[in-house]
Amino acid sequence: MSDRRPAAEDPRTYIESEVIMSAVRVVAPFVLTFGLFVTFHGADSPGGGFQGGALIGVVVLMLAFAFGIDPTRQWLGSWVVTAVAALGVAVFAAIGFGSVALGGGFLEYVRYPLETPTKLGIEAVEIGGIALIVAGVIVGLFFLTAAGPQEAEP
Amino acid sequence: MIEYVAYALAVFVVLTAVATALLRDVLAAIVLFGAYSLGMALLYTLLLAPDVGLTEAVIGAGVTTLLLLLTIARTVRPSGDRTAERVDPRALFACGALAVVFGLTLPGLPAVGDPNAPIVSYEAVTGYYLSNSYADTGVENTVTAVLAAYRGFDTFGEATVVFGAGVATLVVLRREVLT
Repeated sequence: MSDRRPAAEDPRTYIESEVIMSAVRVVAPFVLTFGLFVTFHGADSPGGGFQGGALIGVVVLMLAFAFGIDPTRQWLGSWVVTAVAALGVAVFAAIGFGSVALGGGFLEYVRYPLETPTKLGIEAVEIGGIALIVAGVIVGLFFLTAAGPQEAEP
Repeated sequence: MIEYVAYALAVFVVLTAVATALLRDVLAAIVLFGAYSLGMALLYTLLLAPDVGLTEAVIGAGVTTLLLLLTIARTVRPSGDRTAERVDPRALFACGALAVVFGLTLPGLPAVGDPNAPIVSYEAVTGYYLSNSYADTGVENTVTAVLAAYRGFDTFGEATVVFGAGVATLVVLRREVLT
């Protein structure tokens, strides 16, 4: 749990708009589905972890844009976004160094005792690594830009 | 038919880019910059680079616009009635000269989709990927195969750089979590 005070909502940054809220309510499920499709189908169609992760992150940005940044931040919890981004790096590194541990080179997928090691390895890196990192960092940058710098303790 | 769409998009992109640079109202400039990114995304897709088009649409038109909007919400509007920014003749000359120099290289580029273009026909790299990536990796999207398998180490570096950018922002803003 974070000990920082929640940033005061600047009245100019959020105006409750029925049009924007309705539009986001309709569009968000489709964007999320498209993001998941681009992520999980990136090996066989245009896209991949970066584009799909960015789309998934944008869903959170849209929700924050429509329903207010602070409520969205509280809904997400204080450490979820950081954990998602860090987990992405950990997964990518684990897959990369896992093949080193099995006696191969970095990301040498064929060292993994699986039926189609390279295809599965690529998908694991795209879905469990890159998509998580990109989604986490995009959402994080958005919230950080909205919150601004932490004021020094008095 | 489709090339006229591409020409129209190219004109649109140039116009929005110039307007973004000249407009004095930052909010209008940001909206136009989003339109510029959307035009670029469509153009990339027309030029058969859907992976790049997707990235441009999400990051360029979507995320960047939102981040810029968040940033100007903390600033004040410039005073005065002028719509356009004053143009510095020296800056205009430098930009124009750069555009002319880049424009002069255009005739040297191969046509889009030309199978004899060096980047495609060079067997040691592109040709190798195009003919062997499916057999090597079992992945149909050659771009993904190159990014995550052939150049996987580079991609690991890039992914950590993205993560590092988030951490650097935390340090600059003296915060502890990304929310």
